[in-house]
Amino acid sequence: MASEASPYRLLGGRIPYIEGPLKVSGRAEYTDDLTRPNLLVGRLLRSPWPHARIRSISVEAARKLPGVAAVLTGEKYPTPFGVLPITRDETAIAVGKTRYLGDILAGVAATDELTAERALALIEVDAEPLPEYADPQVGLGPVPEPIHARGLNGSNIQKEVHQHFGDVDAAFAEAAHTVRVRGNFAGVTHGFTEPLVTIAEATPDGRLTVWSATQVPHYLHRALSEVLGLPMHRIRVIKPEVGGGFGGKSDPLPHEIVCAALALETGRPVKMLLDREDVFLTNHGRHPTQNDLRVAADADGKLLAYDLSAVIDGGAWSSFGTVTTYYNGVLAMGPYAVPNFRYHGRRVYTNKPPSGAMRAHGGTNVRYTIETALDELSEQLGINPFDLRARNALAPNSTTITQFRITSTSFLACLKAARERSGFDQKYRNLPFGEGIGLGCGFYISGSNSPIHFTPKMPQCTVHLKADMDGGIAVHCMQADIGQGSNTLLAAIVAEVLGVDLERVHVVPVDSDVSPVDIGSYSSRVTFMMGNAARQAAGRLLEQLLRAAHELTGYPAAQLRVGYERYEVAHRPEVGVGYLEALHKAMEKEGALQATGAYTSPPMGGSHKGARAGTAPAYSFAAYVALVSVDAETGFYSVAKVWAAFDCGRALNRLAVEGQIEGSVHMGLGQFMGESMNYRGTRLLNPSLLEYKIPTPQQMPEVEVLLVGADDPEGPFGAKEAGEGPLVATLPAVGNALYDAVGVRFYDLPVTPDKVYRGIERRRQSGGHWKGD
Amino acid sequence: MHLDPFELHEPTSLQDALGLARELAGRFDYLAGGTDLLPNYKMHLNLRPNLISLERVRELQGFDGHRIGAMTRLADIETHAELRSAYPALADAVAEVATPLVRASGTVGGNLLLETRCFFFNQTFPWRQALGFCLKADGDRCHVVPQKERCYATFSGDLAPALAALEAEVEVAGPEGSRRVSVERLYDAAGDGIRRLSLGPGEIVVAVHLPAHSAGPGSAYTKLRVRPSFDFPELGVGAALRGDPNTPEVVRLALGGLETYPRRFDAETGPLAGAPLDAASARAVAEAITRKVRPVHNTFLPPDYRRRMTEVFVRRTLLRAQDRLAGRAT
Repeated sequence: MASEASPYRLLGGRIPYIEGPLKVSGRAEYTDDLTRPNLLVGRLLRSPWPHARIRSISVEAARKLPGVAAVLTGEKYPTPFGVLPITRDETAIAVGKTRYLGDILAGVAATDELTAERALALIEVDAEPLPEYADPQVGLGPVPEPIHARGLNGSNIQKEVHQHFGDVDAAFAEAAHTVRVRGNFAGVTHGFTEPLVTIAEATPDGRLTVWSATQVPHYLHRALSEVLGLPMHRIRVIKPEVGGGFGGKSDPLPHEIVCAALALETGRPVKMLLDREDVFLTNHGRHPTQNDLRVAADADGKLLAYDLSAVIDGGAWSSFGTVTTYYNGVLAMGPYAVPNFRYHGRRVYTNKPPSGAMRAHGGTNVRYTIETALDELSEQLGINPFDLRARNALAPNSTTITQFRITSTSFLACLKAARERSGFDQKYRNLPFGEGIGLGCGFYISGSNSPIHFTPKMPQCTVHLKADMDGGIAVHCMQADIGQGSNTLLAAIVAEVLGVDLERVHVVPVDSDVSPVDIGSYSSRVTFMMGNAARQAAGRLLEQLLRAAHELTGYPAAQLRVGYERYEVAHRPEVGVGYLEALHKAMEKEGALQATGAYTSPPMGGSHKGARAGTAPAYSFAAYVALVSVDAETGFYSVAKVWAAFDCGRALNRLAVEGQIEGSVHMGLGQFMGESMNYRGTRLLNPSLLEYKIPTPQQMPEVEVLLVGADDPEGPFGAKEAGEGPLVATLPAVGNALYDAVGVRFYDLPVTPDKVYRGIERRRQSGGHWKGD
Repeated sequence: MHLDPFELHEPTSLQDALGLARELAGRFDYLAGGTDLLPNYKMHLNLRPNLISLERVRELQGFDGHRIGAMTRLADIETHAELRSAYPALADAVAEVATPLVRASGTVGGNLLLETRCFFFNQTFPWRQALGFCLKADGDRCHVVPQKERCYATFSGDLAPALAALEAEVEVAGPEGSRRVSVERLYDAAGDGIRRLSLGPGEIVVAVHLPAHSAGPGSAYTKLRVRPSFDFPELGVGAALRGDPNTPEVVRLALGGLETYPRRFDAETGPLAGAPLDAASARAVAEAITRKVRPVHNTFLPPDYRRRMTEVFVRRTLLRAQDRLAGRAT
């Protein structure tokens, strides 16, 4: 399976997902496929007010309705929670105040859906409407009724970041060229296929079991414990198959806690399946953002400084917002060396569905802002956009001014591959009016060095292996496969190290009773961290097998090597023992073999305030070229092709990496072309997959994936991330291609056809000419 | 979201269906493919306790090239070669409706009678309740053009503009017997987004009749929408030309997706009759039509853009129909 270039038997090849046959045959079990005896249906009452003080909630009529098992309001479990321990400002159900249209006011468990919804209609809520805040700009100063008490100085500011490295003002004073841009980004949401769903069951042995569509079982486990007041060991969290997450299933979410609380109240299992509108209202998607950026460069195009400020619309809660506020700044630090950097970021609460983490969290909007500004700069300088970027590329084994440790980077190889394969230089500014080509580059963390961990001295990932007499190897780890292929990678790494067939390896579904902690699928950490932990665990199991092989062959373990299902003498390969023989020999003393492996990222980063934000054991790099075609009369455009050159180190499963890149292009195009959470004030107008415009397959371009990464020194088998970084370069590649096509810069996303139409019209009206138009 | 319980009636003849309609007057909806009605029911939009399914009514079945039974599934005529060559505007329109899954269930009659749409109407019950409801369902004011008299919900069917351009007729059956009405008269030009049809109580659309005189290559339908499938039209243009390939004698053009009912623009296309249709004359007509349309902000794309696109799409659709008539395009 492995490609010629790969020294490995499995890794580096194209490995179909091990759960693929179950998924395509409909046999894979997602949370909603599960049921329990006596299952109740859980439903949520959502607030019709964007901002209101709750005077009273009357639930007696609802409780009396036959078939209703429980009605729950906020005061029963008022303990605040939140994904970040420093900003716990959510409650499972609103307490005292409701903060957005859709905030949860009550939860109901009933024998069936209809009864549950009838019960909701019987709940009477008396509330005093408060001033509503839709615009984060308004909340920058003191407001009459701050959304949260924690807002800074009576404002709605949730987090403010000031950072200054070097001397930005001096750099601008001496700059030969400057560019100033403002990017406006509408909020977008994840659009995962499987809606949010949870089942919870409290049993007479005093335990609570929760099955949930989650990316981070461990954080859910902790939040349930904190809010419900149960010790963690009495809670069991199980993650069935998950149908996509993209960050939207990474916070512990209120419906999960309400569902569990209803199970505790009733003593019966409760299923809470959210519909699509619920999912839109739960949101936690990408933050609506305004970025103001100034770029300074010298006469040769060497970057001198970035001066960046941002106003970020957080919605009703903190969620990941403190991280977002930092990331929107510090993720500007690659893939170029920037010697001076100033950042002022403010994240502001509004009475809208909460924003949170979404694929390429914190890195997408700022990347678009930078890459389009650099396109302007290259034009101003008369330098080819590729040359400008190559001239400023971060060097391998260097340090950014923010003290990020850059180890491997194949960014120059990305530039070279994208430039050559796309024929960029022949096409750039040479295509007829309406056709264009553009470059956008990318940079993203490969796992956060600073995990959201409540006990930071523990490893970020632990993997347990067990090999028993049947020859199968069970792998236990709380890493969350959400469709991205991490189970397959986990199995492949174990099989690779041990030399066994992939089918011997069984990845045991995530179950907190047996899975050692991994902190979940976010920040593109799984391949890097789980991969290293798995490699270590498998290596330790292999030691036991080689000791047995030594006993059987008489050759010292150091002279043995791993063959296919066999351990053999390196200089006499005909002498060896089979895997099973070695296993059974090894089991003679203590039975089933066990091994454990763990990963903790090494110390890194500076000591300034916020220094840990953005530090990662490795970074991915990207250079994408997009080719677009515009109908100037209507503003409609299509993306014909994307050349996606990506540095994920060594791609361990090329099939999965290609899938991630193609999916990232699709998701990036969505945010660029049409996806947006459209509000009238605080009211979300398009909470449906009909009116929220995820691109259709007809809108997908051909994607040519160019994997050019060299081995990373610390990544497992040389690998880095490929889950989020592939998204960010998509948007600016298309934006810059549109400029090449029609001579208009688009800084207001999404770029719907009416904006292109108006942009062309405005350029013409202002007397601007472009490629003969 | 769930469907509230309703009683389902499944008559097998037109007579039985009309009988049920009389019996259940005011307390029923007819159910065809269900792709429009049932999602609306899930949102608790103007629920009725009875649904009369037309699925088994035999008079509504069948397609022979000129008569299309109202219960004909869109997917069943989508790839029909004869239809494609004789009535290309209709073939265009059918292929542009929603998605293959919806077309497998959605019907010709259902598409003609599609409920009008609006951002403030096509929402769940809790969503609308939080807003205070709207004129078209459960409320007393319009949120698009704030007032209490008129509903601005948009007619979003694709087939009607194509069929109106083709001068198709609709066969309607009711308590008083059968009648035929032109497609554009199926809609109530004096009505609004609520009172959108000219049908009387209990009347059923039985079939669409494609006139023989409209058969020919010179027609087309084009559609403005954000995505090339799935989305409803934000503007739909049907055009049909017939007569001499170079100087067509009759030019018909109808618009949908813009206002509360589909409209034909005979006065504006009149000057094109008997003259060569070229870019300049098409533009003049397109501009005249654009001056007559008044879209409002209740769909995804802004109304001013939809109005400007009216000029482009009308011109292009006329020219495509002309190209087809002259054998320059298919």
